[in-house]
Amino acid sequence: MPQGGLTIYAVELENISKTFPGGVEANKNITLRIREGEVHGLLGENGAGKSTLMNILYGFLSKDTGRILIRGEEVELQSPQDAILRGVGMVHQHFKLIPPLTVTENVILGLEPVLKRLRAERLVETKHFSSLLPIDFRGAADRIRRIAEENGLHIDPDAKIQDISVGLQQRVEIIKTLYRNADIVILDEPTSVLTPQEVDDLFVTLEKFKEAGRTIILITHKLREPMVLADRISVLRDGELIGTVNKEDTSPEELARMMVGRPVVFRVEKGPANPGGVVLAIKDLTVQDKRGITAVRGINLEVKAGEILGIAGVEGNGQTELVEAIAGLLKSREGNILLNGKDITGLDPREVREAGVSHIPEDRHRRGLILGFTIAENSTLGRHHRAPFAMGPGRQVLDLSEADGITEALVDTYSIKVSDIHSLASTLSGGNQQKVIVARELSANPKLILAAQPTRGLDVGATEYIHNVLVSMRDEGAAILLVSAELDEIMSVSDRIAVIFDGQIVAVKEPEATTAEELGLLMAGHKQDQSSAEAVV
Amino acid sequence: MSEQSREGRHENEKARFNPINNIMRMVSDPSFQKTAIWSTGSIILALVVVSVLMMMTGYNVGLAFLTLLWGAITQFDRVLFFATPLIFTGLSVALAFKCGLFNIGPEGQVYMGAIGAAIVGYLVSLPIVLHQFTALLFGTFLGFLYGLLPGILKAYRGTHEVVTTMMMSYSAILFTAWLVTYPLKDTTQALDRTPPILVTAELPKLIGSFLNFSLILAILAVIAVDYLINKTVLGYEMRAVGQNPDAAETAGINPKKNIALALGIAGALAGMGGSGEILGYHHLFQDNWSVGLGWDGITVAVLGNNNPWGVLAAAIFFGALRAGGLQMQRIAGVPLEMVRVIQGLIVLFVAAPRAIDWLSKRGVDYATWLKTDRVPASVHLATSFMAGASAIVCLSVFGSYSAMIEAGIPGVGGIVALLLFLTSLVSIYALIELLMRKPRGLRLVAFAAIVWLLVAALGYIAGSMLIVWQSLVIGMVSFLLVVLVERVFPETPLDLGGDN
Repeated sequence: MPQGGLTIYAVELENISKTFPGGVEANKNITLRIREGEVHGLLGENGAGKSTLMNILYGFLSKDTGRILIRGEEVELQSPQDAILRGVGMVHQHFKLIPPLTVTENVILGLEPVLKRLRAERLVETKHFSSLLPIDFRGAADRIRRIAEENGLHIDPDAKIQDISVGLQQRVEIIKTLYRNADIVILDEPTSVLTPQEVDDLFVTLEKFKEAGRTIILITHKLREPMVLADRISVLRDGELIGTVNKEDTSPEELARMMVGRPVVFRVEKGPANPGGVVLAIKDLTVQDKRGITAVRGINLEVKAGEILGIAGVEGNGQTELVEAIAGLLKSREGNILLNGKDITGLDPREVREAGVSHIPEDRHRRGLILGFTIAENSTLGRHHRAPFAMGPGRQVLDLSEADGITEALVDTYSIKVSDIHSLASTLSGGNQQKVIVARELSANPKLILAAQPTRGLDVGATEYIHNVLVSMRDEGAAILLVSAELDEIMSVSDRIAVIFDGQIVAVKEPEATTAEELGLLMAGHKQDQSSAEAVV
Repeated sequence: MSEQSREGRHENEKARFNPINNIMRMVSDPSFQKTAIWSTGSIILALVVVSVLMMMTGYNVGLAFLTLLWGAITQFDRVLFFATPLIFTGLSVALAFKCGLFNIGPEGQVYMGAIGAAIVGYLVSLPIVLHQFTALLFGTFLGFLYGLLPGILKAYRGTHEVVTTMMMSYSAILFTAWLVTYPLKDTTQALDRTPPILVTAELPKLIGSFLNFSLILAILAVIAVDYLINKTVLGYEMRAVGQNPDAAETAGINPKKNIALALGIAGALAGMGGSGEILGYHHLFQDNWSVGLGWDGITVAVLGNNNPWGVLAAAIFFGALRAGGLQMQRIAGVPLEMVRVIQGLIVLFVAAPRAIDWLSKRGVDYATWLKTDRVPASVHLATSFMAGASAIVCLSVFGSYSAMIEAGIPGVGGIVALLLFLTSLVSIYALIELLMRKPRGLRLVAFAAIVWLLVAALGYIAGSMLIVWQSLVIGMVSFLLVVLVERVFPETPLDLGGDN
């Protein structure tokens, strides 16, 4: 690839700002310069704006303001095609592969080499009538094989994507960028889906890239990775660039502080907890997710009545599966879940609910609400089969006037802003949708509340409101399991904090006796010497 | 904020106890309005396309539609008779759809229900009322089983119901055909059919020799399905599963049970429809008797927007097309197949609501343009109108080229016919481009105008003065309009048609 000896920066992003239609400022005036041939770590929490920034560089999103320079040349990227032509490649967190097609077919997608015309390295987009010509599959497979050998990415070009492991799928994505002659490679959370062994393989590959003089941008929220691989590390927080540091000059502690060390925004008024007897007891719980990968590895936990136990952790470390296993949505492989001493392992969701468990799901659109139902219908969901909603022979007739009355009461108590309880749930704002779920779940008079990311995407007012409701439920004696990716939320609402990493509880802390930095390190998998002793409750 | 919601609450309370308000709310609901616009728009568009087709093939459009309407009004009992099975099969598809399932197999379920009713009807001897009831129940039960099977496969094995229900339809048709060819065949008859059912099993007639008691069952079924979907726990759960199976599961609803049951009940409805046809009218099961009552049910459900009362209205509309179509065939000579064309086109337009959205958007565009810029807009509109008229006239005189062949100049006639056909296509394309206010539309109209003038010349050679005059008028007017738009109002804001 052409590169003048004078070029110092592979990529320069100047004053990039991006506001999404919903009003979320994902990037605020970010200036970032990436040197030719370096591994640059881009660190930040979920929603810090890392992926947005890189999607702008890749031409996937448009910037509102600012300039992009690739090798000193200012560019206006209309689409990823423009970025690819300039040697930028991106491996997305969620792979963009077509499962039934082979590796070769996936790699050449959009750049199908036409037989006879493309034996050389020249890549042309197939268009018009050339798309009717036969494709040179063998030539493409040879090229893929050569790329794979040169970079230590062993793969069978004829294998189907659906038959190969996630780690190999990622290789295909990397080969895809190399096939397009990319020498600036962006990797978005590359290790989030990999096993430890696959992570080691990836690191070897990235070392090879470095030796070959490629520029690598590594997006991550795990501290270990940039500390191992990167030359320089930039930290983003809330859409702002906090700083860029050399690896030699920094420490995991400093990075953790840069990443999460913002002033606490929320202040929850709450008195001391009065823990009673154990409500939820989890013993050696092991759960596999829907793909059959073990997501929860032998967790032991207890939640007492009148207590909020916060589960802190970066998303994808098993907290979703833990909650779904308790709610009866996922079957556990091993271990027991006890509610007030009664075994509820393996019960179906309705039986778990009947036993006194309420569940505020983490994805309100997928699991929490039925958007095509009215607010009244949503408010009865989960209790619709019992009195006072279900009447008549065999409790098969819905008493809608009951549902209306109770919904009116909920709307009043939880001050949900609705024009009409018969309008569809999809017409509500996100905060009010969440309030509908919270109102419905908490009005069931639960013994245990599973609150998964209960304030995600909500504004300050709604967040505060839901926090206060949770605290008042605690004071009334409910046991609450709060799962959140927000450290602020965990620290200000919880009475005890359990840190989850890689499907295991790595530490249990009192909020007063810990700091955001310490939790940040634990969440990022940085084991403390003394914390492992406290890991088991 | 709380005051606002309290105010809203009072209004709600008032609204709940006032049925007129309920209807008003339904009518003022934008989604309801949209559906209504789509349905009526689709019907109108389908009728327009069919009239052009009829013109093309040389039928008298006015007479055809008049006899259609007249037939539907004078023979309303037959309208309802034709509508009855469609109500059942339409409900079957609609109910499954409420649970997020596409029941493509009501045809098979109709056959299973029908054979069940026929078997009980002629093999079992029971007193009146009890006999009819048993036969109906047995047919319905067979339909239920025949729907439940793909339901169970879908719920517990993930087999897609579109594939299974459709394949099972063919199985049912062939299986019943075998039954009536061999084991159940009435050996006294040449045709493959069962012996006639006993008189005790026949459903009573209501009016005339067609309309029978199954209509009342159908209307009861509409009420029952409406009640089931909206007023029962089961219906609530089915709708929840249909809208969002994950959320339903989280709330403790068993999606699998509901999926299996929904297809089962859908099958039962279609089965009851089949039984009613046999017990009420055919009185025996003949090989291949239904000819698509089940498939038509899909169409009816689509037009009725999967709402039970919508299904009722759509079924009656289709029944009217069928009954009126017979009259149309008899008097205007238009084949009954034209009715099927109308049905197909309606589904096409309902399934592609964006076409109607697009047209209405263009209409609004023109209206606003007319307000701001009257003269150029009206000239432009006239040009679009000419393009449309040109296309329609092309197609309608397309048929009359045979007159030229008779005039002894077959070569010229053929050329004229071909030219007219091409011109009609060009004109339709020009109309679309003009509606989008693309400059290419004008060039296409100009091209069409030249072709028209050519046709006029050819018509003169052929000696057909009608074609000469028609062609001259259309050609000249089109040309004039194009020149007006191009030369007199060159600053016409083109390409401003909003998002296309």
